[in-house]
Amino acid sequence: MRLFPPLAFIKRSRAVPQEPVPYKYSVPLKLKQGVSNKGGKISEVCCIHEMSVMFSCLKDNEFQQQLCHKEVESFQKCYTSFLTDKNQRSEREMKGLLTPGEKRMTSKQLNVLLKKYPNLE
Amino acid sequence: MCATKVLFSRCFAVSKLNTPILSYIQQNSMSVYPNYYIEPIYRKETQQELVKTGEISKYSHIPTKATLNGQTCSDSYDPVIALFTNYVMRQGLKALAREQMDKCFENIKRLQLEKYHKCTTEEEKLKIELDPKKVFHEAINNSKPLLQLTGVKRGGVRYQVPMPITDRRSEFIAMNWLVDAGKEKDRKVRFAMQLARELVDASNNTGKVVKRKQDLHRQCEANKAFAHYRWS
Repeated sequence: MRLFPPLAFIKRSRAVPQEPVPYKYSVPLKLKQGVSNKGGKISEVCCIHEMSVMFSCLKDNEFQQQLCHKEVESFQKCYTSFLTDKNQRSEREMKGLLTPGEKRMTSKQLNVLLKKYPNLE
Repeated sequence: MCATKVLFSRCFAVSKLNTPILSYIQQNSMSVYPNYYIEPIYRKETQQELVKTGEISKYSHIPTKATLNGQTCSDSYDPVIALFTNYVMRQGLKALAREQMDKCFENIKRLQLEKYHKCTTEEEKLKIELDPKKVFHEAINNSKPLLQLTGVKRGGVRYQVPMPITDRRSEFIAMNWLVDAGKEKDRKVRFAMQLARELVDASNNTGKVVKRKQDLHRQCEANKAFAHYRWS
């Protein structure tokens, strides 16, 4: 097919980009005012050292528990303290209360903190 | 479908209006009592302690649950024995369970007295505990396991992982083992007699139940390498 004769003489070329190239933002380049609520589960493994100490004592005494009174007590004490600690922490987390000086925070606590002291706009 | 949706939305609207009434029904749906009812304090010692500390005034106007049938302020009442009686009970036959427990305590007394009179020296006699309740408590104390094995699936393999347990849980396991041991018997032997023997054995740190506990500890020791696999 022939084009309209006068237009056939115009040279068509690639569009040359202008300097500087403008950047297209897919998302705004600033931090959000919160974090997502996923993950952040703390490992519940505890008292491994106490357990191994207790096991070694039990093995030495042929599993006579009354001979390892001290080790058993320290193991149970460790576990109860772990449980109370965990309960207190989860209670505070549920309420979103902040513990001053705490390094590991849940997402909920972080969001509370970020709401109090938001990022710069 | 549309009609049901409308109905549901109406129900929700109603429930939103009556939250103070409906909220506790949702929270403890099977309980007769609302969730703000507190447990009864039926022991005289705890009541006196509360009077001494002055905390009794705090409880004076809080709605309290009624005491259960078995909970009394009697001197002969022991919460651990009451709990054990409930574990012995099958099909809700509480009277039978209590009767068995009474017989069991009588048997313990008889067994211990028999041993006592067979002793020749005073020193040996002093070692024998004649109070059946003390024997019972000692037996439960001695058969409490320290750990428990739970199955944890990692990479398609099921590992038996040793886990520390709470005091309440270990007490439950010990009592369950003792009841099991009482049932494991010859047909001609009565449950109360077998239970009494097991309790006496366990109080001396011997017998089936203590062995079972030690076996569990051995198994835990063998599987201690998996201890870091546990998640709860």
